[in-house]
Amino acid sequence: MEKETSTFNLIEKFNEIANYVKEKFGANIWFVELLGRRLSYVAGHREDSFLPPEVIYLNERFAVVSNEWEKIPEKEGIVKVLKMAIKEGKQ
Amino acid sequence: MTVVLTKKEKTWMDMVIREEEITRYMGNGRDFINDYEIWEKLKKNSNPAPERIREIIQKSLSIQTLEPDETAALLNVQDPELWQEIFDAAGKIKKKVYDNRIVTFAPLYCGNLCVNNCLYCGFRRDNKVIKRRVLTLDEVRKETEVLAGEIGHKRLIVVYGEHPATGPEYIRDTIQTIYEVKVPTRRGYGQIRRVNVNAAPMSIDDLKMLKEVGIGTYQVFQETYHHETYAKLHPEGTIKGNYQWRLYCHHRALEAGVDDVALGVLFGLYDWRFEVMGLLYHAIDLEKQFGIGPHTISFPRLEPAADTPFVQQTKYKVSDEDFKKLIAVIRLSVPYTGMILTAREPAHIRRDIIASGMITQTDASTRIGIGAYSDRYTEQELERQQFELGDTRSLDEVIRELAEMGFITSFCTAGYRCGRTGDKIMTLLRTGKEGVFCKLNAVLTFREWLDDFASEETKIAGEKVIKKELEELKERVSEKVYNKLLEYYGRIQNGERDLYF
Repeated sequence: MEKETSTFNLIEKFNEIANYVKEKFGANIWFVELLGRRLSYVAGHREDSFLPPEVIYLNERFAVVSNEWEKIPEKEGIVKVLKMAIKEGKQ
Repeated sequence: MTVVLTKKEKTWMDMVIREEEITRYMGNGRDFINDYEIWEKLKKNSNPAPERIREIIQKSLSIQTLEPDETAALLNVQDPELWQEIFDAAGKIKKKVYDNRIVTFAPLYCGNLCVNNCLYCGFRRDNKVIKRRVLTLDEVRKETEVLAGEIGHKRLIVVYGEHPATGPEYIRDTIQTIYEVKVPTRRGYGQIRRVNVNAAPMSIDDLKMLKEVGIGTYQVFQETYHHETYAKLHPEGTIKGNYQWRLYCHHRALEAGVDDVALGVLFGLYDWRFEVMGLLYHAIDLEKQFGIGPHTISFPRLEPAADTPFVQQTKYKVSDEDFKKLIAVIRLSVPYTGMILTAREPAHIRRDIIASGMITQTDASTRIGIGAYSDRYTEQELERQQFELGDTRSLDEVIRELAEMGFITSFCTAGYRCGRTGDKIMTLLRTGKEGVFCKLNAVLTFREWLDDFASEETKIAGEKVIKKELEELKERVSEKVYNKLLEYYGRIQNGERDLYF
């Protein structure tokens, strides 16, 4: 039950950050779970530009993907926040 | 003579089915296939007016799933000219959703031991003429080396009988083994980038295990949606005899997080119009409960199999004419789904259906005997195979023919490797955006294959198709995207591999 709650909270956090990025920079980011070769969509924005996706790994389980990273000057800060959110979600 | 199950087999069978993992998806204790209702709708929608059919066609062209009454109307069309309009629309729909590409793959049969006794199947446990075998992981590796390193496939559908020797743990291990293979090729390397699985219905826990190792699509065919026929063909006391355990396995997969699931019917077991309705109801229930429909739908027809007289005795054989119709109706009914036409069918049928533009996936260089790729046998051996193949042409030959027909062959596996799956891809499919990704990735993966595997003759035909695709893409995408495409294209020509959009 606790694990489900923390995953749910994490998804909420992911969506919150994706919405922030969308509003502030007009860029789409989405979050995936790493399952072998599969990157399984978890949360974030569904619309895409057609540029190739760049995957940034957050930990052994999650990654954040975008094909518009160049639109997001706060990229490093956002990745840092995401990693912290995952860490907090584990505790 | 009945084959007696071993104690191990019986113990294993007793543990497979979990009732709660069926009933949790049912409404009021019933499954979503109401045989009476399906026949009533087929009767009610007979003699549809042409205007109504044209309205239905327009709805399909806007990439919306049809209602059962609409599909029933299509199935009742008699006028050949109206059928041609349906065929034309089917081609347009596929082009809109998936553009001009046809994805290719190969089947890899890993084991033909089975505890079930389906009357129509060469692998049924009572069939003594079949040579039984399960591949070791080393043999799976050897098969994959041929598929990825010599033929050039990037996508496999791995097939297993239902048996403790090829249960979920074995399936997991074979998936991992396949993904580990990497073989140097002419200019780059060969590798399987997507492993789809055709296997027995599993529990949610077992499906989660397969999800963890990166399963592509989980494919299970209902065989027939007609309850009474299902019961006759799948003996009581077998796992497969449980209709609802099979019917809800895709629901379990989606709940387990495997968000690419595939449906299918074995046409020839019961009335083909009923079965098309069954497929639609299945897709609708998945959409309703999970917001995700089937990734693909398959429509194999019954083929001869060693010592399997049922195939000759069935009164529901589907004619070639009706086969084309049922494919078109499925295309219109579930317009976003991928549609697979396999080498079960002879070359002339595949040519005709593919030319209509309705299909999204096909296989070639296909061998369905256990261990057949590395054994390199050239004639079919029915005692090693589940059924007889109709088309044994090589991938090189089929690709050349597709190119001459104007289709680009794609080996794309991009979607599931960057999170374009599940409900994310549903939006992209319905809006036609996924088709642009399909087009971009077809060019890149086709370039890889031409450079690593193509004969000179096929390379010439392939280059013409690539040129046309590049010209179309230049008009279709932004300058930024097009320049990125050219950059990736150049890097692939220099030997880099696995670049995608």
